[in-house]
Amino acid sequence: MHLTREEEKMLKSDDWVTSKCMEHLVKYGEAAGAERLVDIDGNVVMPTFSSMIPELGIDVTDPEMAGKRLKAFTISRNWSVSDGWEDIGVTPWNDPEDHRRRMQILKSWMRIGVHPINSCAYYLTQTYLPTAGQYCSWHESSAMPYGNAILGAKVNFDLGAEFSVAYTAKAPAYDMRVDENRVATRLVNCETRLKTDMDYDLFGWAVGEAMTVEVPVMTGIGKPTQTQILKMNAELNTGGQVRMYHVPGLTPEASSVDAALKGRKPVEIVNIRREDLKRAYEKMNYASDEDVDFVYLGCPFYSLNDLRRAVYYLEGKKCKAKLWIVTDDWTFKVGELMGYRQIIKKAGGVLLAGACAVVSTGVPPNTDVMAVDACKQDYYITGGYYPRKLEVWYGTMEDCIDAAVTGKWRGKWPGGE
Amino acid sequence: MNETAKIIIKGRKVIGGVAEGEAIVSKWPTMGLNNFNPQLGIITERDHPLKGIPLTGKVFVFPTPRGSGGWVNFGRSTAFGTNPIAMVYYKGNALTICGALVLDRPTVGECEQDPSKIIDTGDWVKVDADKGIVEVEKKDKPK
Repeated sequence: MHLTREEEKMLKSDDWVTSKCMEHLVKYGEAAGAERLVDIDGNVVMPTFSSMIPELGIDVTDPEMAGKRLKAFTISRNWSVSDGWEDIGVTPWNDPEDHRRRMQILKSWMRIGVHPINSCAYYLTQTYLPTAGQYCSWHESSAMPYGNAILGAKVNFDLGAEFSVAYTAKAPAYDMRVDENRVATRLVNCETRLKTDMDYDLFGWAVGEAMTVEVPVMTGIGKPTQTQILKMNAELNTGGQVRMYHVPGLTPEASSVDAALKGRKPVEIVNIRREDLKRAYEKMNYASDEDVDFVYLGCPFYSLNDLRRAVYYLEGKKCKAKLWIVTDDWTFKVGELMGYRQIIKKAGGVLLAGACAVVSTGVPPNTDVMAVDACKQDYYITGGYYPRKLEVWYGTMEDCIDAAVTGKWRGKWPGGE
Repeated sequence: MNETAKIIIKGRKVIGGVAEGEAIVSKWPTMGLNNFNPQLGIITERDHPLKGIPLTGKVFVFPTPRGSGGWVNFGRSTAFGTNPIAMVYYKGNALTICGALVLDRPTVGECEQDPSKIIDTGDWVKVDADKGIVEVEKKDKPK
């Protein structure tokens, strides 16, 4: 890997953290087959689950780290239950002492410059977004295609090197940081009319499975809302590893199918039909017991509009099953001002910020059957309980709230063409 | 016993070193996060043909990664001593690179042919990552 004179100097820097980070970036870049480093002019997303940076053997709480600052603009993803934790009913997350300890870890990251956004859909609340062509270091399924496809930024995954990237604002030029890798090689035609949020969720899964790591250009996907784009993105990058795609008219990097393919013929043409969505729906309905114990809504974290819709639907009802509606810290606060937290509480549910049953909290005790409105949450949650079979129902937000209220799953494949 | 020619697959060195052992082959794209348990070294993805079978001590072969950045969990198995001794894959991306760095075992990626279509579980595989070469001795030799 070629280093510039500036980078060579950084490798031998008097600042021990800089030289350590550069050594790691060189090792990383060589494994990646990168020829050079790029400057991170967008932002970095830092995992803050622990105070340790194992690849460097650094503890961020170490007194030697005092006064150190990250060079790149850096934010945190969700790591715990950041608000509403008193109501969650699951230990240790509702224990004030445990919460205080986790906040201490977050604060040690904040001291070096990690801004506590605490969301998986951080791009909705981080306030400073990359523009087209800017280099970023992100992770999270729904976020990667949001950054690459929707914003046109050059967003790559660097798990296990984020600290080195943030501290130096340098990262290896490979994968989505290289223009050639962003060109579409596959054409996906959507031959069914996508209308509902669930349609886009299932479409994303079906395309993801068909593409795995390939970059598609997609046609016929209609006019998705923001919620639908988020859901589609999460599933493109769960059913597969579609971290970049093109939709002429929606994504900025190519204005036509031909431009997305750089004039080349697609290696493969995939037509997605209603039956492909139905197949994904059936895969997600991994349950037979209709008595639902727990409903999780908020994968990716609900936006203010999703929260509003859920609250209007739930208002005045009373839940038989446990219900969590999950969002980010800011939406939580606005939701609280709007009285949404109280309405959910009155119905027997809880509004939470930052909680993810897959990534942090797990499901509440005595959950044998749960219900979700997102393939991603559905498909990962079961793996964490192996060899016990956790049953999961999948459907619309309304199906899920109905299940929370009645305690019974009544969702059905809606049909359509 | 007939001595058949060894199959050679060429790829790119990701993490250097040499290792040999029995293959464990996922014909499906592999998924991390909760669908791989690094403490036990097992795939826990629903209905996966290898569900519950440890990758420990084996050469782990797969076509591509899919899903979350939690794919790096495959690499975290090293911290628990449940890790495969080497990895061989067809088409990777940032997930497999970051995962291989954490795994810290010989890894060959971007193979010229899909190794998961050539290698079967139980075949004997020698991974010379420094040279980017994978040597395969089939368990069931053609008669």
